[in-house]
Amino acid sequence: MKHARVLFNGSELDVTVEDSFATTGQLKSKADGQLINEADVTWLSPIKEPGTIFALGLNYADHARELAFEPPKEPLVFLKGSNTLTGHKQNAYRPDNIDFQHYECELVAVIGKEGKNISREDAMDYIAGYTVCNDFAIRDYLENYYRPNLRVKSRDSLLPIGPWLIDKDDVGDISNLKVTTHVNGELTQDGTTADIIFDVPFLVEYLSKIMTLKPGDMIATGTPEGLKDMQPGDKVVCEIEKIGALETYIVSEQEFYGDKY
Amino acid sequence: MTNNPIVKGKLVCVALNDASQFEAMQAEFNEAPYKSAPTQPVLYFKPHNTWSTEGATVEWAVSEGQAAESMVVGASLAVVFGKECCRVSQEDALSYVGGYSLVHDFSLPELTYYRPDIKGKCLDGSAPIGSVVVPVSDVADPQALTVVTQVNGETVSEMPVSNMVRSVAELISTISYIMTLQPGDVIAIGFPGQRSPIKQGDKVSSAIAGVIELNNVAGRV
Repeated sequence: MKHARVLFNGSELDVTVEDSFATTGQLKSKADGQLINEADVTWLSPIKEPGTIFALGLNYADHARELAFEPPKEPLVFLKGSNTLTGHKQNAYRPDNIDFQHYECELVAVIGKEGKNISREDAMDYIAGYTVCNDFAIRDYLENYYRPNLRVKSRDSLLPIGPWLIDKDDVGDISNLKVTTHVNGELTQDGTTADIIFDVPFLVEYLSKIMTLKPGDMIATGTPEGLKDMQPGDKVVCEIEKIGALETYIVSEQEFYGDKY
Repeated sequence: MTNNPIVKGKLVCVALNDASQFEAMQAEFNEAPYKSAPTQPVLYFKPHNTWSTEGATVEWAVSEGQAAESMVVGASLAVVFGKECCRVSQEDALSYVGGYSLVHDFSLPELTYYRPDIKGKCLDGSAPIGSVVVPVSDVADPQALTVVTQVNGETVSEMPVSNMVRSVAELISTISYIMTLQPGDVIAIGFPGQRSPIKQGDKVSSAIAGVIELNNVAGRV
């Protein structure tokens, strides 16, 4: 089943996304079964109470080569704040006076059960399901301290996620899913999760040795090669086979912040 | 999700904000892997599994079934936000503060600042926070505060907020341009550059005289 959260008539609503959605554009309220038109809602992050957001750097063999890095021997994990989250079909902003902002299409595994010291073999029991995120980066802001630093990776709106959370069993094997990004309709990123260096079971074992994982924690598993600069007006679609396609609109910093700019 | 009553959303910590440490590291900053000194505040998150409380015993780190040889601790003034804080000036920054508290950051020894230190800094319960938020009306000037830390009753560090590279107001402003801060978010504005080594069972107490204290114990494996 696909689970989503939307804003409808000013209230947050839990909905399911049925197979019929592709043709009817209707979402179904979990509370009362009411059918709601997509046109009348604002998509929210599908994770109601976001916990720790882990993200992986250099976790695809091809992307590590693209950035001229040796593939890491140990996962490069960084954390992101919940301020970064936004939903499907929402705006994300390009900061003023920068040269390079790129998208990163990533498979996200969402933790469904608390655990510590989880073995690789048991790891998938702790996963509730999957979603897609776009882990934007502002390369101008990189500094060699806790790299990739928060200024690069923890900005408002720069982690669109969704459209929905799909149950683990509805996806099955995740070891060879197509990972693609389209910018204004042009294919710019075309990879597969088969190129992931540290896979989901490995990461669950690795992280849970350090710390307790809790429901709502998310692991964004890194991105394949195919970087491209973004400009206001661009439409970016990050898609992972069997999971979903996440659409984001790039706007200027001034447009995003409005009165607070 | 957490038994901590104060932090609601984000706990942002500032590293390398002790001016004497920052000065002493200048030569190292110019070498690999850093290559140049940081131009921006060096920030890290303590995620929700780390949040803990006054009086808590902090789990001793275990790696591959073995107790960690050593841990270190530092204390920081904690700025607790009272209202949403987005893109504010230094001049206005303090008006977004709901109050002040103390944070202990228990971690593995800090060997490098190059990569995010998940292994060293994300240990369960490793970020206890004081039991109360001291209202801003009780703190005339956060820059005038000094955080004193004792291990087993012996003073191991005295960190005046005025000895930091960046002030409370400057940090709030800079961070608020990166991320919107919400009520219940916390910034730990800076720790002594030399974190204090601790052993299993040590009592760690920090205080801002007349304002607040925080008492914890390092656990035993």
